[in-house]
Amino acid sequence: MKTFIGDFHVHTLLSPCAEVEMTPHHIVMRAAQYGISMLAITDHNASGNILAALEAGQKYGVKVLPGMEVECAEEAHIIVIFDTWEQMTGWQKIIDQARSTLPPNNEKKFGKQFVVDADDNFIREEKRMLFGACQLKAADVINQSKSRGALVFAAHVDRPSYSLLGQLGFIGEDLQLDAVEISRQSIGELKEKKLKSLVGNRPYMTNSDGHTILDFIQGPKNILELKEPSIEEIKLALAGKDGRKFTPGYYIKEM
Amino acid sequence: MNVNQIAKELQLTRVTKHEEAEREITGGYTSDLLSNVMGQAKDGMVWVTMQGHHNIAAIGSLIGLAAIIVSGGTNIEEETITRADENELPIFSTDMSSYEVTGKLYALGIVNK
Repeated sequence: MKTFIGDFHVHTLLSPCAEVEMTPHHIVMRAAQYGISMLAITDHNASGNILAALEAGQKYGVKVLPGMEVECAEEAHIIVIFDTWEQMTGWQKIIDQARSTLPPNNEKKFGKQFVVDADDNFIREEKRMLFGACQLKAADVINQSKSRGALVFAAHVDRPSYSLLGQLGFIGEDLQLDAVEISRQSIGELKEKKLKSLVGNRPYMTNSDGHTILDFIQGPKNILELKEPSIEEIKLALAGKDGRKFTPGYYIKEM
Repeated sequence: MNVNQIAKELQLTRVTKHEEAEREITGGYTSDLLSNVMGQAKDGMVWVTMQGHHNIAAIGSLIGLAAIIVSGGTNIEEETITRADENELPIFSTDMSSYEVTGKLYALGIVNK
């Protein structure tokens, strides 16, 4: 088994709410510097900066996984993560279809959305609105992405907005989530477990949900013991199977 | 005022199987944040929401609501209707917005005491 430090919820400058310093290259370079060995790039409903992150990941020796923070019809955020870029391009088509009726982005209200290359060069501005719910319900997002090989978890379930737990009151057994994410504001929940029954006893994850480099470095991570850094192995670790381990609530100590 | 009467007054579409719903309505609540509804809505109330997810049926029966009105022409999941029928919880749909439905309920005298 090998030990990995993983952050599975990080935004690039493609997300309208993220800072422009969040280029794929910059994120991956900092990840390598601070020993973060697994990283999922998860922009809102988009994947335009993932190829650049994958390229930077190869250069710096960081395992980058293509991900997305999807806003389902119930206005909750669900994170899907794949092994390959090909899986992500297939998934992006489904999401684009489910968002085709939304208006274009209003950058004054929501922020600019940039696509860049692995050397931080500007490629284009995303003109479609990445903010807002798609037409797929939570169950559709979960089932359709899982059938394409995704790892799926509900983002920041402890928070008042865009939380699947907040929107639905409780997370029923029918939703095939691999985990639920607890945000850094509620890190005590890892011990207190006040929400455990409401989230159906699903395993907890802690990620930075970084929108700035400081958020990203200072935010919580996870320690994983895996044979190799893949979706299948993360699922085994979350389930505590076959000697794999997943421990949330880890912080980078040397800043 | 009872459930049948408000359904008639507001011209709501019945989606559950229930035939007679003569339960008196004690008040109302309007929200799409189900965690909030769980804490705030009370037994006997009518709940106005745009969520069609089946958790609305579970929460409605858990609290003991008199009825749920799904507003804005929201698509209601089959599972929601099945679960509401199992619990004899009346659910109605309407194309009116939550604002209009709530205003009309208030005008009919359904206020929280």
